Amino acid sequence: MKDDNGIRGPMVLLNDVELKLDSEAGSVNILKGINLEIAAGETVSVVGPSGSGKTSMMMLIGGLERQTSGKVEVAGHDLASLDEDGLARFRRDNIGIVFQNFHLIPTMNAMENVAIPVELAGIDNAFDRARAALGSVGLDQRLTHYPGQLSGGEQQRVALARAIVAQPRLILADEPTGNLDGSTGESVIDLLFSLRADHGATLMLITHNPALAERCGRLIDLQDGLIGADRVTA
Amino acid sequence: MINAWRIARRELRGGVRGFRVFLACLALGVAAIAAVGSIASSVIAGLEEDGAILLGGDAALRMTHRDISADERAWLGRSADVSRVVYLRSMARAIGNDKRSLVEMKMVDGAYPLYGALETTPPIAAADLFTRRGDAWGAVADTALLRRLGIEIGGRLKIGDAIYEIRGTIDREPDRVSGARALQLGPRFMASAASVADSGLVQPGSQVWYFYRIRLNEPAALDSWKTDLDDTFPDAQWSVQDRSNASPIIKRFIDRTTLFMTLVGLTALLVGGVGVGNAVRDFLAGKIQTIATLKCIGASSGLIFGAYLIQVMVMAAAGIAIGLLIGGLAPAALADLLRDALPLVARIGIYTQPLILATAFGVLTALAFSIWPIARACDLPAAALFRDSIARFRGVPRWPFAAATVLLLAALAVLAVETAFSRPIAMWFVGGSAAAMALFGIAGILIARAAKLAGRAGGTGLRLALANLHRQGAPTGSVVMSLGLGLTVLVTVALIEANLGRQITKSLPQRAPGYFFIDIQNDQVAAFEKTVSGVDGFREMRRTPMLRGRITRLNGETAKAENIAERGRWMLRGDRGVTWARGLPEGEKIVAGTWWSDSYTGPQLVSLSANAAAGLGVGIGDTITVNILGRNITGKIANLRDVRWGTLRMNFIFMFSPGLLENAPQTHLATVHADPAREAAIETAVAAAFPNVTTIRVYDVLETVNGFLGRLGLAIRLAAGIAIVAGILVLAGAVAAGHRRRVYDSVVLKVLGATRRRIMGTLLLEYGLLGLVTALVASVIGTIAAWAVVTEVMRFQFSFDPLAVATAVVIAVAVTLALGFYGTWRALGQKAAPLLRNE
Repeated sequence: MKDDNGIRGPMVLLNDVELKLDSEAGSVNILKGINLEIAAGETVSVVGPSGSGKTSMMMLIGGLERQTSGKVEVAGHDLASLDEDGLARFRRDNIGIVFQNFHLIPTMNAMENVAIPVELAGIDNAFDRARAALGSVGLDQRLTHYPGQLSGGEQQRVALARAIVAQPRLILADEPTGNLDGSTGESVIDLLFSLRADHGATLMLITHNPALAERCGRLIDLQDGLIGADRVTA
Repeated sequence: MINAWRIARRELRGGVRGFRVFLACLALGVAAIAAVGSIASSVIAGLEEDGAILLGGDAALRMTHRDISADERAWLGRSADVSRVVYLRSMARAIGNDKRSLVEMKMVDGAYPLYGALETTPPIAAADLFTRRGDAWGAVADTALLRRLGIEIGGRLKIGDAIYEIRGTIDREPDRVSGARALQLGPRFMASAASVADSGLVQPGSQVWYFYRIRLNEPAALDSWKTDLDDTFPDAQWSVQDRSNASPIIKRFIDRTTLFMTLVGLTALLVGGVGVGNAVRDFLAGKIQTIATLKCIGASSGLIFGAYLIQVMVMAAAGIAIGLLIGGLAPAALADLLRDALPLVARIGIYTQPLILATAFGVLTALAFSIWPIARACDLPAAALFRDSIARFRGVPRWPFAAATVLLLAALAVLAVETAFSRPIAMWFVGGSAAAMALFGIAGILIARAAKLAGRAGGTGLRLALANLHRQGAPTGSVVMSLGLGLTVLVTVALIEANLGRQITKSLPQRAPGYFFIDIQNDQVAAFEKTVSGVDGFREMRRTPMLRGRITRLNGETAKAENIAERGRWMLRGDRGVTWARGLPEGEKIVAGTWWSDSYTGPQLVSLSANAAAGLGVGIGDTITVNILGRNITGKIANLRDVRWGTLRMNFIFMFSPGLLENAPQTHLATVHADPAREAAIETAVAAAFPNVTTIRVYDVLETVNGFLGRLGLAIRLAAGIAIVAGILVLAGAVAAGHRRRVYDSVVLKVLGATRRRIMGTLLLEYGLLGLVTALVASVIGTIAAWAVVTEVMRFQFSFDPLAVATAVVIAVAVTLALGFYGTWRALGQKAAPLLRNE
């Protein structure tokens, strides 16, 4: 069966996924057998204490980390079958990521930062689309500003524009408000949800904020590398 | 200062991480200067300590074309042992085959050598070496002569009319450097001076030099002996040398080579200085939290400046010490090489003076390039330190620090000029370096500006590459400066070498005559011309009378070196070729005054080379007195000629009007052009009919010069290589400093979907552009410098060599690309996750 996004099956499928990472103290078992299925168009929040494996799970789904065992399938792609460049192309075509630390390129201004994913996808009028995306996050007046010249909230909005500009199927957001004050954080989250709704993308949001977690349609609680709870929010 | 020292000491516990390029830059420059100075000192020490051996005596008198009188000889013998040595140049012909060779003859008496020992194979006592047995005189020669003549020890040869038997080959000739002309055209041949009469080579006007070596009964009384000599023979025509300056030619060569190599070492140090500045800036960037914290808790700018200057200078001391160690030990490390390359024994040891000089250069460079960034970091308010961490090091510090930097750079320039053997050359170097640094500084700014203007040109890759060239804190300026300076040296040296090489191997042989024939006697001229022109393949012959003389007076005043410009002094040092002519010889060009008429019979007029006139400070209407064969001949300067020495024609500084010289004893010099295939036939014909005439094959001379230039070129390329290595070090430092940021950019791009190939393409563009533009600017500056040297100093026609420049461009692009790629490729293969986690 094909969904609205042209993908057979779920947007995200994790099947008995384990992740072990080597550290100086020895091998650490981060994820201990995760089974998860997220349908296209769902909004899912991931909560849990620090070190529970939230970010690692997101990295696996974004193709930024490789599982030790199990199966990771995203947007119909078995990520284990892709090499580094294949993973890069997979992200280019399917994923938008928002980090807590923004991760903008300091040598590029706001518009250039936002245009990159579109340019990489080989789509024409990249700058028009970047301008529009920045307009949708309220930064029409900051197009030529460099990251160093923008406030934290503005930088996160640029990152948000960059995440949605290529109209990805899946948006991954890792504590996007973690470095922002309360009201700035709220406005960024409002933007995130409205933009997602505009594009009909699937959203996976990592957060420590219970109220924010409840805004998603589904909540997953990760405890020590295992899913402790998986429920539909009220 | 106690507090600053205490802070510095605590901070230094962090170790030398981040200072590796700083240490390497200083160590390399200091090592180059210290090594050059130490090697020169050890060679000069050898020259001075062995002065008497190298000169062949405590003192030596030289007479040109004329022997000393019996009275003079008797006076010399009163307080010293005397050895008479006669130098000639002639043709040796093997007996038993038809092989010939030009030989540098050194004809000695029984007292030779006064100092040192002549070593031969087989070892033979001096008394038996040169005695006459039957019809043949004993002789020894360089092995090269035996090879050329196809004879062995015991073989026989003929020079002029004298027959010689080779009794051994020369292993070591203690006084080889003395009396030698700068250019040796043939192998050494030694025999008894008593045999010269048999040879019939010495005729009036023949080119022959008489040396009287003196071993004083009381060597310590050298000065008073020289005073006595001058007082007793005030008008003597000899030139006197003593053991304190045994070989002015070698001394000058060492001085010039040392100067050149020191200046190249200084270039390396200047290039390294850019690296020093970068390293200090990067070091302070890592210390910004500490500096801010110190300021927040009440430390003054002065205190912080002191603390960080101490740290930087402690590191500088370590770098300089490494350099001194390497440089100081260089003579010992290169002892074998020096022994083979030099005609004297270098005194291997540690010489403090060059080490002090290298230290001074190192300290001044370290200070000049680090005060600025330290002052900038300390000047800014504490709050500003927490933000905009790149921009804070830009701009000008407070005036005392800016002034101190300018003063230190000026001190570097003054030290370079004041300690140089030739001030004008050092001043040109300092001026040229300043101009080149300014040009590269401007080029760096222009490249960054152009990158900014290009803005969104092209795709993501090009845009990112351009952005990396102009963003704040980009190393564009320092890379262009450091790599550019090194490349400029390389391009200049390569182009000068290419031009010299072309002159000697291509241009000259086409235009130059095949042979020079010298010592043609007056009564042989007609027969000589008939013989030569009768040989098949003969094309053209030019002949001119040849005398030798030395300048004694200018405008009636005794000619003294100290009264004329440095560039003209060489003309006073010995004899110069003199000729006379009725009409202006073909190909000569008058640049001032007029040539005398063919029938001129009035008072002596003289035609002077325009360069010589400028060097001597004389012009049209002035008088010049030349001592020819013991007689002073004064002429009024009638015209000046443009003489191009590079043409290998019969060029003379002095040409007199006919009259007095017409009837003086003289020989003739002739040049002969012939079909290359028939040249040997002409040589054979001349050798058979005129045994006294010396044949110089131009090809052989060019070979000799080429060999010498090849060895010199190797040393020069080595020196230029040091400057390039310094540039690469700075480049590596700049690239390493930006590595973390570059990996981060690459990872973010990867997250956004860029493939490794695409990211590497961006790097290729960034570093390729930087290397290419730097190489092009360096090529332009290097070409201008080479053009100036070739046309103005060497007076050759300059021709551009695309290969030399292309090599520099390829090196620059390859080096920048290699360093740019290094590390990034590996980083790109790794997982992105660790760099992106929210730590």
